[in-house]
Amino acid sequence: MITCLGDVFFPEVGVAMVRLLRRLGVELDFPEAQTCCGMPLFNSGYHHDAAEVAARTVKLFERAEHVVVPSGSCAWMVKAEYPGLLKHDPALRAAAESLARRTRELSQFIVEVLGVTRIESSFAGKVTYHDSCHLLRGLGESSSPRALLRGVPGVELVELPGADQCCGFGGSFSVRLPEVSSAILEKKLGNVEATGARCLVACDAGCLMQMGGGLTRRASRVKAVHLAQVLAGEVEA
Amino acid sequence: MSDTALRAPFPERAGAALKDTFLQEALTIATTKFIDLRRESFAGFPQGEALRDQARAIKEATLQRLDAHLERLADNVERLGGVVHWATTADEAREIVLRLARERGVRMAVKSKSMATEEIDLNEALEHAGVTAVETDLGEYIIQLAHEKPSHIIAPAIHKTKGQVAELFSRELRGEFPADPEVLTAVARKALREKFLQADMGITGANFAVADTGTVVLVTNEGNGRMVTSLPRIHVALMGIEKVIPSMSDLVVFLAILARSATGQKLSSYTTLVRGPRRAGELEGPQEFHLILLDNGRSRQIASTLREALYCLRCGACLNVCPVYRQIGGHAYGHTYPGPIGILLTAMLKGNESVRELAHASSLCGACKDVCPVRIDIPRMLVELREHLDREKIAPWSERVVFRAFRRLLMSETAFRVSARAGRLLQKPFVRQGRLRGLPLLLGRWTRTRDLPPVASRTFRERWKDLR
Amino acid sequence: MTARADFLARIRREVAKAPGQFAASAVPRPPHPGAAAEAIRRELTERWPQALERFREEFERIAGVFHRVPTLEAVPSVIAAIARERGASRLVTWDPAALGFDPGPVLSRDGLVVAAVRAGQEDDAARERHRAEAAAAQIGVTGADFALAETGTLILLSGAGRPRSTSLLPDVHVAVFGRDRLLETLEQVGVMLEALHADADRSMSGAMINFITGPSRTADIELTLTRGVHGPKEVHAIFVEAP
Repeated sequence: MITCLGDVFFPEVGVAMVRLLRRLGVELDFPEAQTCCGMPLFNSGYHHDAAEVAARTVKLFERAEHVVVPSGSCAWMVKAEYPGLLKHDPALRAAAESLARRTRELSQFIVEVLGVTRIESSFAGKVTYHDSCHLLRGLGESSSPRALLRGVPGVELVELPGADQCCGFGGSFSVRLPEVSSAILEKKLGNVEATGARCLVACDAGCLMQMGGGLTRRASRVKAVHLAQVLAGEVEA
Repeated sequence: MSDTALRAPFPERAGAALKDTFLQEALTIATTKFIDLRRESFAGFPQGEALRDQARAIKEATLQRLDAHLERLADNVERLGGVVHWATTADEAREIVLRLARERGVRMAVKSKSMATEEIDLNEALEHAGVTAVETDLGEYIIQLAHEKPSHIIAPAIHKTKGQVAELFSRELRGEFPADPEVLTAVARKALREKFLQADMGITGANFAVADTGTVVLVTNEGNGRMVTSLPRIHVALMGIEKVIPSMSDLVVFLAILARSATGQKLSSYTTLVRGPRRAGELEGPQEFHLILLDNGRSRQIASTLREALYCLRCGACLNVCPVYRQIGGHAYGHTYPGPIGILLTAMLKGNESVRELAHASSLCGACKDVCPVRIDIPRMLVELREHLDREKIAPWSERVVFRAFRRLLMSETAFRVSARAGRLLQKPFVRQGRLRGLPLLLGRWTRTRDLPPVASRTFRERWKDLR
Repeated sequence: MTARADFLARIRREVAKAPGQFAASAVPRPPHPGAAAEAIRRELTERWPQALERFREEFERIAGVFHRVPTLEAVPSVIAAIARERGASRLVTWDPAALGFDPGPVLSRDGLVVAAVRAGQEDDAARERHRAEAAAAQIGVTGADFALAETGTLILLSGAGRPRSTSLLPDVHVAVFGRDRLLETLEQVGVMLEALHADADRSMSGAMINFITGPSRTADIELTLTRGVHGPKEVHAIFVEAP
């Protein structure tokens, strides 16, 4: 599941993920009719609409043994919210529960399903990691991404102070309350730059859009990248 | 915040708070400290997680038989010689207190901190009726002198720096006081000691009320809670109906986690259990005890999606970790209860229309749910609230149109692909150094402060055929 | 004001509409609280030294001042020393019958004015006199009904001869207790409270129970901790070893 933001704005992340997983021996398919998990609709309260998108998505991935998502929030949406959204139709609900079981965020897939934590990558340098809210609190995941980063021989992982604090994206929040969103972002980027890292790593396109957008706007030397890009050695200089 | 400022739309109020450097400094200091204190406290407390689960279960179990517990509570209070009053609305609650004050010749009342009394605007009503109402909690005393409302559920004056407090005291109490918390506290101690000894009535809230025994429980630190319930001749306790718990065995579960969640203390300095008016052999204590049970919109939530919000212990932990509260403080929310739980409580007490903007004052990060001692799923309820705003057509129709259109886009791969291509074309004038800047309209709100990545020259699905 | 029946009926209606979020129960009450309380007391007669150690640790952690004396006879001179150190001249104490000893004679010899409450004198004149004495005293001396080790908390029941303000109005509060008062956990406190209230009229002569965990404090100004807001600035615990 590539995600809507991933498809349109960060295709390089999807490409890195594909190359990485193939290198790890995984056979991949991309159901081309996919669009979005529907979370933006859900979070803004448009649940009827979100349920329609969920029903469509559930059918698209019926035959996949595993569904891998390079985004904590989208994986969370599928695993935590799809069954509830589709609870009024027993068949769809069962399908949603099945999909929820088969879906994992990328780092969780690599560590839990493939059992891999050490990946050789051409990437080298100091990085710092931001815990996306839905990956951290929704899926309870903070160790797999760090384990994978530490497992790359050339990577030095520096803990980000306040790593577990929100970056201020929050979906439509970022444009409904842009000043508050930006103030939250400022705090985050202050911490990021203080680490002296070359790259800020995250597992969520929304966070990367927000933090990356802030970093380039202030002409920072820090680059915001996705975990997949680091592991696949596909970070642009 | 002035009244005109409060009538401005929420984004404006938030914007003003962001520009207030005093406030920003105060908020950062206070919330960071609270966060660290709470974390430390729970780190050394492995039983904490099980106790939180237990506390949540007690609250839910109590709601399932709320009427029975309230009935038992009332019977026990009356058996002890207390008087129970039943206030469906804020108006009724105010009337009860005013009538009591009138009938008993009350000229001055001393108050221990009570958010419930803030909720019903009791102080104004008392002042209007010619009764002097003195706030005795230091933070409440400060904001009373400043003619402001509390900005945090447990630390009402947290938006003020010590310099501001010193200035305030010097002006209102006619003295020259340095910006030293020790000195300022001593000033308040002296000024308020006299009031405690002279007041006719003591007014409190209630953190808990034990149905089994008719006991009202106050969790405090300063000693004012003890003063106002022991020195004046009348004690009035105003209590939301959701504060009742079944037994003393339940009470100690909450005591074990409440102070830790609020301030990182194992227990607050004082936990006071009040069982009616003074007994026959007591030298001290009020002759009269009145318990006012307040509904004010709470019962309506029992069967609604906001039910869990009734578990709230008013500890303030969710405020301290909320990225939004930490940036804008309590006043910008514009209602009695700020922060994540405040949005839910406001909807509960004033209806969904009152939170049409506030329901979106959250990035749904979930930090609040993480720290809530009774594990209230605040993000879920905020999303439910947003769903109500859509369903009840409170959300602006322009927004609903946009989201409906967005859904149509997501339901069709063709539409999705075509939109991406259209975006690629339309964005051309705005691409600077590989980034989007200066976008118009809604997206302009983003690009004012942040870059946007452009729509990729080849989307993932366009590249898939080469990857396959 | 709404009538009780209408108020409760409304709640009953709402409760009936709601199935509840999940199956939940409150904490089960001890079926025989008196026996359960007895059992705890028996256990503590064995474990009191450890409980005391823990109490002392926690009490000092929250700025309590801990003293230990071999017998009740030694207590008054400790109080006198505290008074000297604080430059105090007036004290107020619980009824010596409630304290288990009378510090009056020793303290008066030191030139201190001691106002001891006497149970059985509860007319308005006595009330006024007591209020004036309590307000003027610099030190208040009480017993403690329980001493909770887990948190360093003193638990005081109000009642005849044991007024509420003795531990509240003076700047310094001194509490005297022995090994039979020690409890280890909040959970045990719960059992004790159940037992007390099972027979409330007999076990409690007052309407208030106070848990006192250190001196009065606030952090309302910039989260800077200050002590002695409205209640005492200092709390002393005098533990008497002799059983």
